[in-house]
Amino acid sequence: MTAGTPRAGVLAEFGTPEEMLAALDGLRGAGFSRLDTFTPYPVEGVEERLGLRRSSIPRWAFAAGLAGAALAFLVQWWTNAVDYPINVGGRPLFSGPAWIPITFETTVLCAALATCFALGLKTRLTALWHPVFEVPGFESAQVDRFWVIVGTEDVGRRRDAAVAELRRLGARRVVAVEEEDEA
Amino acid sequence: MSEASAARALPDAAPPVLRGASDDRALTDQLLRPVFEGAPGWRVLLALSGAGVLLLLVATTYTVAVGIGAWGNNIPAAWAFGIINFVWWIGIGHAGTFISAFLLLLQQRWRASVNRVAEAMTLFAVINAGLFPLLHLGRPWFFYWLAPYPATMQVWPQFRSALPWDMVAVLTYFTVSLLFWYVGLLPDLAAARDRAPTPRKRRAYGVFALGWKGSGRDWSHYRVAYGLLAGLATPLVISVHSIVSMDFAIAQLPGWHSTIFPPYFVAGAIYSGFAMVLLLVIPLRAWFRLHDVITERHLDAMAKVLLVTGWIMLYSYVVEAFLAWYGGNAFERYTLLVGLPLGPYAVLYWAMIACNCLTPQLFWFRRMRRSIPALLLGSLLIVTGMWLERFVIIVGSLSRDFLPSSWHVYAPTWVDLSILAGTLGLFAFLFLLFIRFVPFVPVSEVKELRHELAREGSR
Repeated sequence: MTAGTPRAGVLAEFGTPEEMLAALDGLRGAGFSRLDTFTPYPVEGVEERLGLRRSSIPRWAFAAGLAGAALAFLVQWWTNAVDYPINVGGRPLFSGPAWIPITFETTVLCAALATCFALGLKTRLTALWHPVFEVPGFESAQVDRFWVIVGTEDVGRRRDAAVAELRRLGARRVVAVEEEDEA
Repeated sequence: MSEASAARALPDAAPPVLRGASDDRALTDQLLRPVFEGAPGWRVLLALSGAGVLLLLVATTYTVAVGIGAWGNNIPAAWAFGIINFVWWIGIGHAGTFISAFLLLLQQRWRASVNRVAEAMTLFAVINAGLFPLLHLGRPWFFYWLAPYPATMQVWPQFRSALPWDMVAVLTYFTVSLLFWYVGLLPDLAAARDRAPTPRKRRAYGVFALGWKGSGRDWSHYRVAYGLLAGLATPLVISVHSIVSMDFAIAQLPGWHSTIFPPYFVAGAIYSGFAMVLLLVIPLRAWFRLHDVITERHLDAMAKVLLVTGWIMLYSYVVEAFLAWYGGNAFERYTLLVGLPLGPYAVLYWAMIACNCLTPQLFWFRRMRRSIPALLLGSLLIVTGMWLERFVIIVGSLSRDFLPSSWHVYAPTWVDLSILAGTLGLFAFLFLLFIRFVPFVPVSEVKELRHELAREGSR
């Protein structure tokens, strides 16, 4: 599953998370696989039904954390033990334990920054507009309604089938989302 | 959250974490109303706290203009208000992270409705905390000398000193708290965008929501990222305050040079912070009639945390005094057994013991844990007691060090007092702005909680 959230296709509104989950099952049963949901809070069971793999964000965070730790320790070592050595009461120039606090904090800082950047990239934050926002009434996706989108790639010539299936599954509203203009 | 939390039902005796809440739309509108419509008396309070900000501005300008000689600290008490208030404020901040991150990892559901307020408290407390060491530098405009940048002077900072540790710890703490807070806010800013009554507000919240759409893919990344940030923020509570305590513990001064400091400081931080959360949440709940969202259960749980951390403090005081006696070091023994309890600051010392050790005992009783006056009074005493503790540790130890000939009694000046009062004003000012413009009860999380509770109820 590499493709992101569909940008065009057929959108349907459901009243409860349970209805929406049942609809996802129904759509998958009818052979539609290019699906996504829009919900006001994370709904248990969506990830499995969309076939999503576990997010790769932790790997980014881990790598950034390691890099941060290495950077912090190396900077402290090079500046205090190599480039500008100061003898403080005969203590060793390589004062590893004294460098741990900064190393730890920098690890956390880099991991947290990487987490947020990765989240921003993966959810396309700062793209303030998405074609689904044009659908009248879609505001309810952030309030109390649960939407399902069937992507164009999937709908293709089976648009009527998709619409009929969604209606049968109890959608309160079924709307088409247009392909965005390539400007 | 996850299956584990959904499966465990609350004991019957406990009041619910969420009451009433007819449907999601009504709940959303109720929680967003303060943001769109404001609140009665808000302007008056903002003006009052604005006066505090002005005072802070005057006092800091004066400090920068004439130098830190304007403060009361002088050898031997070279550290005083500048560090007392730093430790006090940053300690208060830690409870916010504790509630939002640690309790999330423990899947404590009662955190849902108070975590945003607690996190905001953290941010504002850290801003205030950071101000003190910055001013204490004497020439705050050279603060960047603490960073390892290739300076033309060809020197590097000394990383064996606690000052660079502090700088990195505080900056990291602020940055991570801000990120955690903002990531948590995204869905609620999107809800505010989509419920905004005017196009201007819609545009403003739209920009801050960064285009959040809440797709299944978004949520799947979001949940992982949010959990990860919680996991990263939790050790910060412990590490940042441990580093703060090492400012003292790595020095040789009697009363400071002790290995008990890191855990003792962390417990004290959480103690004072929870008291501050109660001082903020109780008025907020009355002001916006949030009794269904912030119930007695929240107050009860926070009072229990006060009781536990209060006992850790009491234990630390006892161990500290015992080790001073048992350790056999004459200076340590003098400071902890004579200098502090019988010296020039004896009144403050005993006031601290009374505030920090006696007050939490109130919360053995369920009636007290749910009584608004008892909680408010208790929290106020604890916050004061924790400030006194920092005063006693810092000024009490410094003013009577090894050589009696160098003993000197410290007293703050009007500038010291104005800066402390000013930071209280700044804190209130920022907090008022926060509750006016930011959804201060997490809308999305409370709706999720409601759904979870409803699903359990129907089983």
